[in-house]
Amino acid sequence: MASLPDVFGVLNEMKAEGVVEDYALGGAMAALFYAEPTRTYDLGVFVILPPSDQPIVTLTPVYAWLRARGFEAHAEHVLIHGVPVQLIPAYNELVEEAITAARNHDYDDVTVRVCPPEHLIALALQAGGGKRRERAHQLLETADIDRALLDEIMSRHGIQGPWSHNG
Amino acid sequence: MGDGPSSRGDRVADVFRAKAEWHRRQARLPIKEKVRILLELQRQDHLLLKQHRQLEWWEEPWRIDS
Repeated sequence: MASLPDVFGVLNEMKAEGVVEDYALGGAMAALFYAEPTRTYDLGVFVILPPSDQPIVTLTPVYAWLRARGFEAHAEHVLIHGVPVQLIPAYNELVEEAITAARNHDYDDVTVRVCPPEHLIALALQAGGGKRRERAHQLLETADIDRALLDEIMSRHGIQGPWSHNG
Repeated sequence: MGDGPSSRGDRVADVFRAKAEWHRRQARLPIKEKVRILLELQRQDHLLLKQHRQLEWWEEPWRIDS
């Protein structure tokens, strides 16, 4: 049976072969590295794609690379070793920064890049929605957060924190 | 005696403190243990979710080892 390190290995290979410039886990799976476990059924991965002449950002070359290795895309997900992975091209400066600032974590001797918790909070609040606000709150309550760094990120990206009203 | 509003309030505060502490302990578990819990949550919630709405194809418990 496959395991998570197998999935992380594919992500690392994607980066090593230049299919993506860089990647970092985001969303609930990334939050798991810093906060208490919450249920998720997919693994969100932010990617920076290599420079291209194409006017439109497309994941087609990434999907083709994955297909060649037996991992088929179905709509927005690719099933990699039994785990539905959603690849999300960096869609703004905050995401790009979160990928670049990602931390290398060790999981069974396999390195996996994970967005820092301060960026995960900022991303969740920027995207909005109840589930994401809850995740931001959970990270704030239970993870080791550098509040000065978080405030700086939020301010630089013009994100209003739900705690701002209470000082 | 001694079960007035303030002692009840203290007990409630104790419960909330204990709950917050439990959440913090969960957050500090090793990542492999958290993944094991995640896989268990996926299995438990799947049955309930299925009863309430049509699930996406990918909303399935992962068939992996942690």
